[in-house]
Amino acid sequence: MSDHDHDHDHDHGGAHHPRPESEAELRTRALEALLVEKGLISTDAVDAVVEMYENDVGPQNGAKVVARAWVDPDYRHRLLEDGTSAIAELGFGGAEGSKMTVVENTPGVHNVIVCTLCSCYPWPVLGLPPTWYKSAAYRARVVAEPRAVLAEFGLEIGSDVDLRVWDSSAEVRYLVLPERPPGTDGMTEEELAGLVPRDAMIGTAVALQPEAAR
Amino acid sequence: MTDRAIIDRVDASLAADAPLPRDNGELVFEEPWQGRALGMGVAVMDRFGIASDEFRTHLIAAIKEHPETPGESAATAYYAAWVDALEDLLRERRLIDPPTAGTPPRA
Repeated sequence: MSDHDHDHDHDHGGAHHPRPESEAELRTRALEALLVEKGLISTDAVDAVVEMYENDVGPQNGAKVVARAWVDPDYRHRLLEDGTSAIAELGFGGAEGSKMTVVENTPGVHNVIVCTLCSCYPWPVLGLPPTWYKSAAYRARVVAEPRAVLAEFGLEIGSDVDLRVWDSSAEVRYLVLPERPPGTDGMTEEELAGLVPRDAMIGTAVALQPEAAR
Repeated sequence: MTDRAIIDRVDASLAADAPLPRDNGELVFEEPWQGRALGMGVAVMDRFGIASDEFRTHLIAAIKEHPETPGESAATAYYAAWVDALEDLLRERRLIDPPTAGTPPRA
């Protein structure tokens, strides 16, 4: 996942910064150089944090929520009753006051989320939305022809399965609780979290089989 | 290596009074230095076991001292204040004696 545009090339041509344009940048660089020189932090440590913020602060959180729900029926119940509170139990949240609603996949029901208006997304648990989530094509088509769209993701949903599309908004954001894959009885919660890709929590994929996760 | 938990703690700690700049939930980094500034702050808190609330106090003060000016982008103002706050914190903790703010050494 590298759809975030961070590589713009220092275009300092704009005149909208009252503060001298490069001052903060220079100070940031100077401070980092100083901290590294003194051995207080390493450049690698800063890189690691930046990378986490850019890429995967979210999906890991969502995967932990899902894994907990798989191993703890009481937690699963609370999660489906009040997603916001149950997610906060694990220390995640802060979604601009919006409500988190968790929808559960079962053998007879498959859920998928979209934001038809813009790109509302459960970012505290999923991180940055993928580019396709924000595309006009996904937003329109997943409502009009969800089975065809999911098939394009490689996910065939049988006609006997109730396919539900949830439209996110600033007030309510959805998270899909995927089905726990078979053959995972002996796995730890941490191992289970490794079976939950981001797209499974959007509903455009399902959880991985244990062997596929290796 | 920095644990994700600290990132979440920082995020949550700042959410009410000095939230990280976001656009529809996505963190906004207009220029790479802003991400570096954030990464440095989190790395320092992690390395020295500094509570995010302690940093928050400095950040709120820095934002108050240098509020966003008309025409200035929110992210630029925020992360400039973030660097101010980080310097204050490091100085208070006697971890560094940084050069006078505003006159950085040329890189």
